[in-house]
Amino acid sequence: MAPKRARVYYAREANATTIQALAAEVIAKRTKRHLDELERSNYSAPNTLLTGEDAEEGHGRGRARQTISDKRTLNIPGTSPAAKKKKTTHNVRTALVYRKTLAELIDESKIANLPPDDPTYLRAAAPPSAYPPRMLCTVCGYWGHYKCRRCSMAYCDQNCESVHAETRCEKRVM
Amino acid sequence: MPTVLLDNGASSIKAGIVKLQQEPPRIIPNAVARSKGDKKTYFGHEIARCNDYSELHYRLPFEKGYLVDWDAQKAVWDGIFSDEVFGIDTTSSSLLITEPYFNLPNIQEVYDQFVFEEYEFESYYRCTPASMIPYGTLFSQADLPPAECIVVIDSGFSFTHIVPIMNGEIVWTAVKRLDVGGKLLTNQLKELSSFRQWNMMEETYIINDVKESCCYVSTNFKEDLETCRADPKRNPIVQEYILPDLSTNRKGRVRQPDDILTDTDQILVMNNERFTVPELIFHPDDIGLNQAGLAATVAFSISLLPSDLQGMFWANIGLIGGNAKFAGFRDRLMSELQTLAPVDCEVVIYECDDPITEAYRAAFSFVNTPGFESHVVTRAEYAESGSNASRKKFHDWKHRESEKEKLKEAPKPKGKQREEDRSQAVNKISRTRSKPTTVTAPSRRR
Repeated sequence: MAPKRARVYYAREANATTIQALAAEVIAKRTKRHLDELERSNYSAPNTLLTGEDAEEGHGRGRARQTISDKRTLNIPGTSPAAKKKKTTHNVRTALVYRKTLAELIDESKIANLPPDDPTYLRAAAPPSAYPPRMLCTVCGYWGHYKCRRCSMAYCDQNCESVHAETRCEKRVM
Repeated sequence: MPTVLLDNGASSIKAGIVKLQQEPPRIIPNAVARSKGDKKTYFGHEIARCNDYSELHYRLPFEKGYLVDWDAQKAVWDGIFSDEVFGIDTTSSSLLITEPYFNLPNIQEVYDQFVFEEYEFESYYRCTPASMIPYGTLFSQADLPPAECIVVIDSGFSFTHIVPIMNGEIVWTAVKRLDVGGKLLTNQLKELSSFRQWNMMEETYIINDVKESCCYVSTNFKEDLETCRADPKRNPIVQEYILPDLSTNRKGRVRQPDDILTDTDQILVMNNERFTVPELIFHPDDIGLNQAGLAATVAFSISLLPSDLQGMFWANIGLIGGNAKFAGFRDRLMSELQTLAPVDCEVVIYECDDPITEAYRAAFSFVNTPGFESHVVTRAEYAESGSNASRKKFHDWKHRESEKEKLKEAPKPKGKQREEDRSQAVNKISRTRSKPTTVTAPSRRR
């Protein structure tokens, strides 16, 4: 019994010296990436379907880029460009063809330059919590009383720790 | 002239034509979806026709709550105006459309361009969903005048906004946003069940249904967590969701006690996932999002309002948006707000039967109010001065100057009136305007 225990102890010691805990900024980066993932509309291939719908068409380049909205055959009453498939105005065409991300649009809108007490999208975010974050086990969802020494994700017991070590640990860490 | 009403949400469009009699709106997914099974693309209202919704690939016009993909949006709108849905001649109609809070000025211009240059509407009105709520019935109580100070909590697909409204005008300086919405919750559930059970990362459609049928907001998180821990197989919380069988075209459903399973049925066990997912609205720090929870944000928002009116805001809180449909949402918010509210304030939370369409119904009444025509921008006005016409007419967050003056002015010339307001507030409170959970001297936290 005694030698075994000693060996286990020794192994832990050895590990402790080689394991380097992750820097706080790396963990912050990981959290941010996770939050960005949670904003995705689809898990795989986040960008392939954004411009062209059919694979064979791919994404055209430049002005002639295909749009999905003008390929439909719909019967809209009236005489608007949308109904008659007339030539759309320059503004509308630009909006249809050149898609911008929200980050680009925020940049373009210059709302960051408004006086500091003006309410804008950028300043409307909820304040940070007054309390330290609660830790929940990243494996089973129970209270996570322990943190992984390598990647500081929370876990609740040895069982979840081993699951964590096998599947998740360091996977998302860059 | 008919008025088309579009409550243009990031997840679904609540659409209808204003007639004298109010009808429930058509709820149309605001998405272009590609089915992997039948290799077809479905636009907006067509998604209802899709039978093979495994690995539906979505293209959403909205990113983080703002309209960025106009190509996809036009595809969905075209369908709504076509004879497949309403068959309405846009050139001889008026339009009311909602936009997100703090919509960017450059995006607003594109709204104008589409409305007048592409669809050539006769006139239109653009506003946020919460600004319509005073016209609706969410806060209305028999024999009482409409509340002057209200807080609308709009918890939708992209985010949750706390919107205080005073005398029908949004107080933009106190509007706060919590970056937790239905999309994030669905994705979180997707991730949890993929890690713990089946790989569902591509099954947004199915997981969204699981979320809507199984998830609830816990009113006692600690206890529920212990219950699930004590016996993961058999406890009052655990549910089994029978995943849809696409070969026989059977929908997914929650397993009932008398349900007999066949060999081919696949089960997704929902244990603590049922409440740890919606919990993110109240504890965004559970996923590392550094924002205070909903209740603390509501308290923060109210603290930015004129101090003598805060009591009225505490007593008039209303819930709209899809997340308000989670069972327990109101109760949980109530208990958390009571610990945050000042001792002498009563907290009253209003809710409605269908929080998703509440803004639509309120907007419907707004269109039918006599003064509606004076609010709209007409095609002629747009032709003359472009987007300046709508900048001048539509009230939104950029009209801050006037709002500032109002807040400044409030204390002096309106002193008398405000005292009346206050006594009115006391009256309202004493008459207890909702199912009051008897306030047992709320304890302050700090």
